[in-house]
Amino acid sequence: MRTEATIRIAPSAVKRIGPARVGIGGPVGSGKTALIEALVPRLIGQGYDIAVVTNDIATREDAERLQKSGLIAPERVVGVETGACPHTVIREDPTLNLEAVDLLDRRFPKLDLVIVESGGDNLASTFSLDLVDYWLFVIDIAGGGDIPRKRGPGVLQCDLLVVNKTDLAPHVRVDMDAVRRDVAKARGPKPALFTNCLTGEGIDAVIAELRRSVLLDA
Amino acid sequence: MLKLEGIVGHVDDSAIAAKLHHLRHHGAVEYVLLAPADTQRKRLRVTSDAGTDCAIVLARDERLEDGSVLLIDDQRAIVVRLDELRWMVLEPANLSAALELGYFVGNLHWRVKFDGERLRVAIEGDESFYRERLAPMIEKRLARIVDVG
Repeated sequence: MRTEATIRIAPSAVKRIGPARVGIGGPVGSGKTALIEALVPRLIGQGYDIAVVTNDIATREDAERLQKSGLIAPERVVGVETGACPHTVIREDPTLNLEAVDLLDRRFPKLDLVIVESGGDNLASTFSLDLVDYWLFVIDIAGGGDIPRKRGPGVLQCDLLVVNKTDLAPHVRVDMDAVRRDVAKARGPKPALFTNCLTGEGIDAVIAELRRSVLLDA
Repeated sequence: MLKLEGIVGHVDDSAIAAKLHHLRHHGAVEYVLLAPADTQRKRLRVTSDAGTDCAIVLARDERLEDGSVLLIDDQRAIVVRLDELRWMVLEPANLSAALELGYFVGNLHWRVKFDGERLRVAIEGDESFYRERLAPMIEKRLARIVDVG
């Protein structure tokens, strides 16, 4: 005889588990696209099946940059024109991005991961968890050493804070030790990593965190 | 790491409840404690109260709730328990302060409930963050925190 439990277990067992969805947000020029350009070849090299959604206000410049990069097949990159505030389409109404992710999911049914890059925004932008399972917020040292102290929602609420362009600290008179202290204070137990996306410094640590927290294979 | 794919049922399902009752007697029911906001996630890594490293993966149309059962067999069960959502109760000093408070809270995208002449704000994360942001309004006596709980 089938019990209620077995009836409920059966549909779950055949449900399709889709790819992990990871958001990458942060201010204009902080290095979101550079981070993706650093992550993608390494993740592909480790055997992951990947696609990317980019967001721009009125163009598809970030999508075209990735499509022409040679790092990923162009058809695996979809650009979304937000038309207005970038945070609107990653938080209040993520419909356009959900459609783009679903399109890629249908086009490439073996995907392990879809990265959703937000358009450049301010320190208050956050992702809806209806759109992504996990999100990173990228800030950069050249934007000012005081950003972690400003305690913007992006810095406080993201799953992983990435502090990029660490190599620029001496050129913009930023004290990295003070930044590390401020980051630790703002983040508490939540993780934060320091990167230089152009040289690849710190990228393996970002990948390790993604594998542990959202790809769930490490 | 124990990978848990999908929700297999709920503690209130009759067949599951009977099995859970038996497992509880043997101390074999583990709980994973989640913040309310985490129920929106379809993938998360959590440690159960018994120390099991759990990797939870759900289909897009599944949603975790208090009492969701992620694993149940003859040896043990793993059940979701939700942390209670806390609310900060704010009282504006007057009508103009109420307008300012409403604008301020909306601008920060905080989740709210209307409660007569008071406003309830969901504490999602660190309470000190909410107190810090409200401090200028509190200091100017435009609003006061009536309760947090």
